[in-house]
Amino acid sequence: MSPSAREKLLVYILLAVVLMLFMTPIYLIIVSSLKPAPDMFSRPPAFIFTPTLQHYYDLFTMRPFHLQIMNSLIVAFGSTAFSLFFGTLAAYAISRIRNRWTNQIAFWILSMRMFPPIAVVVPYYIIFQTLGILDTPLALIIVYSTFNIPLTVWLMKGFFDDLPEALEEAAQIDGHGVLATFYYVTLPLTAPGLAVAAVFCFIFSWNEFLFALMLTGSNAQTVTVAVMSFWSSDAVQWGRIMAGSFVILIPGVIFVLTCQRWLVKGLTMGSVKG
Amino acid sequence: MTAGAGSSYIIEGPAMRHQVSRNRRIAVFFLLPAVVMLFVTTIYPMLYAGWLSFRNYDLAKPFIPRIYVGTANYAEVLTSQPFFHALVTTFKLMAMTLSVQLVLGVGMALLVIQKLPGMALARTLLLIPMMISPVIVGLVWLFLYFPELGYLNYFIGLVGFEPVPWITSTKWALTAIAIADIWQWTPFIMMGTAAALQSLPAEPFEAARIDGNSRLDVFLHVTLPQLKPVLISLLFLRAIDAFKIYDIIFVLTKGGPADSTEVISLYIYRQSFTFWRMGVGAAASFVSLVIIVVLITLFFRSMQRSQSAQAR
Repeated sequence: MSPSAREKLLVYILLAVVLMLFMTPIYLIIVSSLKPAPDMFSRPPAFIFTPTLQHYYDLFTMRPFHLQIMNSLIVAFGSTAFSLFFGTLAAYAISRIRNRWTNQIAFWILSMRMFPPIAVVVPYYIIFQTLGILDTPLALIIVYSTFNIPLTVWLMKGFFDDLPEALEEAAQIDGHGVLATFYYVTLPLTAPGLAVAAVFCFIFSWNEFLFALMLTGSNAQTVTVAVMSFWSSDAVQWGRIMAGSFVILIPGVIFVLTCQRWLVKGLTMGSVKG
Repeated sequence: MTAGAGSSYIIEGPAMRHQVSRNRRIAVFFLLPAVVMLFVTTIYPMLYAGWLSFRNYDLAKPFIPRIYVGTANYAEVLTSQPFFHALVTTFKLMAMTLSVQLVLGVGMALLVIQKLPGMALARTLLLIPMMISPVIVGLVWLFLYFPELGYLNYFIGLVGFEPVPWITSTKWALTAIAIADIWQWTPFIMMGTAAALQSLPAEPFEAARIDGNSRLDVFLHVTLPQLKPVLISLLFLRAIDAFKIYDIIFVLTKGGPADSTEVISLYIYRQSFTFWRMGVGAAASFVSLVIIVVLITLFFRSMQRSQSAQAR
């Protein structure tokens, strides 16, 4: 049943309204980051203006934003590597040993991701202070991994479940052990899953704010906390806030544009098949 | 599976013995590291929070001994007006965001599954808000709501309405936060619903249409019942997230004006870091953990139901 011309028109009108509502804030971030300060709140809004890179220049010269980007990258890559290692191994075990125990463990792991961060921020603060790793990237790598390991486990479990076990059995008959089979047969075949899990872990860590705010100071400050700090200074630096926001939203946007079909699986924890 | 008496292996034969020892090896080498890791990094802090919740502890004065106060912190949390108010505010916000996200999200899903030129791109663009850091979402909405300067009131004025004191009045602040959350997470319901819609078989719809039912009838009586398990799972995921909401409120209102947007997370934050009463904060954390465990359990049940519904 193909829609009539009138229906098509209606669909496009509705779509235009929806797109306008949902894209305006993103448009504002980009445009405001390029607007000269006097035009920032001009009435009517200045749709045509002379774009300036001043805010981006300020962002990197008046504040060590590149150091904060560095911190965010270290934390995000560190936590991603950590979570992929532990998470993939656990996912394999849960996928291959199917009994009541592994099922229980799988749900326990998933529930770890869903606990409210604010509830554990004080204990983390005290523990890290005792260990002397407060305000270091390591502290955030550990904390983010508690969220990223469960995500990796559930994503990779789905990929391992879909892999025919006959492939592994063939390798085992050839005399390879469990670890060798996993490393040489299973992992290469589930490489797309690893990539998806890695990107999710990375973006979660990159975007996180609450733990970064509480557990870092000047030394290990990440980009989200840095951008928020432009707000708390005496005059609100909207240009720099928007320039920083644009830098922060780049990884997420690239992810959506390149591999949106994995979003369903990753964000619904497998409760909806993409 | 208990790996008990070795004699049972003989009865089950060598193949089974091989399977059991292989499983045990996988369990030890593969599962144990993650379990130990998660246990140390999540259960230990929670136990610590539990320990704190029975004590009087001021983080700003670390050398004062942490005195055992029994259940006093819990008594205060459970009987105090501010905690109850925070709980009500949390669920109010949850009700506002979930209801709008459900209706709008399903509507948008029906829109973006139309096979028309340009639809794939539109659908992709609509997913972007979900991947934006909640702090950035808060900041851009702050830009829009900003008193005197924000563009939202300018456009509302153009249409002929009075300016709205979005984040400065107790009447509107919670709505302002709900709008920002709705903007970010409606695409989530849209995405999940669209994926589920496309995996539904086409025949029942065509049959129902040929029988002369209106489009609305088909949607209400054929589509919606089939979508129900998935929608319930999606809503529970949103509910769990809504219960934890922190970043957007921290940026927009910090719980104010006059506690009107103080949800559970903000209450815990204020007790712990404004009043430095870590014990009370920890007790409130534990009460909120109990509530989230209930939500998570309900989600797991709905998830198993929706998975078996999709497997059919």
